[in-house]
Amino acid sequence: MQYTFDWAPIWTNRELILDGLLDTIALSSLGLTLALVIGTLVGTAGSAKARLLRAAAGTYVEGMRNIPLLVHMYFWYAGLAFLRLPPFACAVAALALYSGAYVAEIVRSGIGAVPGGQWHAALAVGLTPRQAFLFVIYPQALRIILPSLAGIFSQLVKDSSLASVITVAELTYQATAIEGQTFRTFEIYITISLLYLALVSVITYGLLLLPGARDAAAQGLSDA
Amino acid sequence: MPEVIFKNLPFLLAGLRLTAEIALLSIAGGTALGLVIGVLRYLRVPLVAQVLEAYIVFVRGTPLLVVLFICYFGLPALLAYKTSAYWAAVLGFVLFIAAYLAEDIRTGLRTVRPGVIQAGLATGMTRFQVLRYITVPIALRNVIPALFNQYVRLFKFTSVASVIGVNEFTGSAMLVNGREFAPITIIGFVALTYLVACLAISSVGRLLYARLAVKT
Repeated sequence: MQYTFDWAPIWTNRELILDGLLDTIALSSLGLTLALVIGTLVGTAGSAKARLLRAAAGTYVEGMRNIPLLVHMYFWYAGLAFLRLPPFACAVAALALYSGAYVAEIVRSGIGAVPGGQWHAALAVGLTPRQAFLFVIYPQALRIILPSLAGIFSQLVKDSSLASVITVAELTYQATAIEGQTFRTFEIYITISLLYLALVSVITYGLLLLPGARDAAAQGLSDA
Repeated sequence: MPEVIFKNLPFLLAGLRLTAEIALLSIAGGTALGLVIGVLRYLRVPLVAQVLEAYIVFVRGTPLLVVLFICYFGLPALLAYKTSAYWAAVLGFVLFIAAYLAEDIRTGLRTVRPGVIQAGLATGMTRFQVLRYITVPIALRNVIPALFNQYVRLFKFTSVASVIGVNEFTGSAMLVNGREFAPITIIGFVALTYLVACLAISSVGRLLYARLAVKT
């Protein structure tokens, strides 16, 4: 090995890296929020009794998650170029629609895992269907699905790196720029890898700190 | 079929062939490596298991794109050895997907019922024979759904190879788009093709699982 490590250029460019990191965080949290909204709606539709709703939800899920995220990004960025959406918005839309399909499947399985008696009991005490979902079904489903949601969220953070391809100045994009200037290839990519790892760890362990999540995780383990 | 697609079909199909080639190579390599890592982690070989765990945590926390960059730009600098983008991509996919497959395979190994293993030992098989002929085959058959989930994921991820300059399906489609400028038609065609291919891979997985799953 003739490669000599030199970490100084990484430290010199710390502001660019921090900029990218903040962009990645903004991109991921926006994508995540929208994916949760889409996932909850589609997942609820997927667990409905009406066959049409179920079919529509199934079509959405299969259609979205079987297309590479990169193609989603190109669709918004190049396909709909005439809309002149800013790259950041394209990336958010692609991430939200793609990850929303995964969230939907998890939400659907979570709703299915809440015992049916809960629904009937909620209606029997006079809750409207909407109230039954909001106050009885969703809170219980959320606890069950937290570990899987943590997995999807960390995937979303990592997937957001593809936004660099459509020129969003997030972490990976900044890394490529710094690499081009300093040629410290190995150092810069290891650095951002560790930053992604840190983000993913924060999400995974952060979500499991939520009340009730540990029980669900433990249950998931004993089931496996 | 729209004119643009028809005119460029040979070029696009060559890209699709490259995608299939990269996917198959990576699936084969990734499954082999994942099996080795999964078994070593399952056996808790001292030191090796810890090193492999660090590898898995690192890869699973890193975006695929960054893994590809490390394999294409980083490793050649480190080892003073130049590879083509194609092999860098295959290496990246293998290293990436193996980390996920290893965990799935390890879960499969751990859920093989102890009674089956004891029965094997009781008939006089060595520990290695039990692993080779009982535990691993049962585990592999039972984690087919998880494996195929990863294969579908990998198939979609091969599109990322276009970023480091491999003109696989997505890459060649974007080249065609640069020349023809019919983005909606071309991206729509690409999306539809991936959709069909991924659904096909999933159904192969379901078929295999239905035939091979071991009920213990």
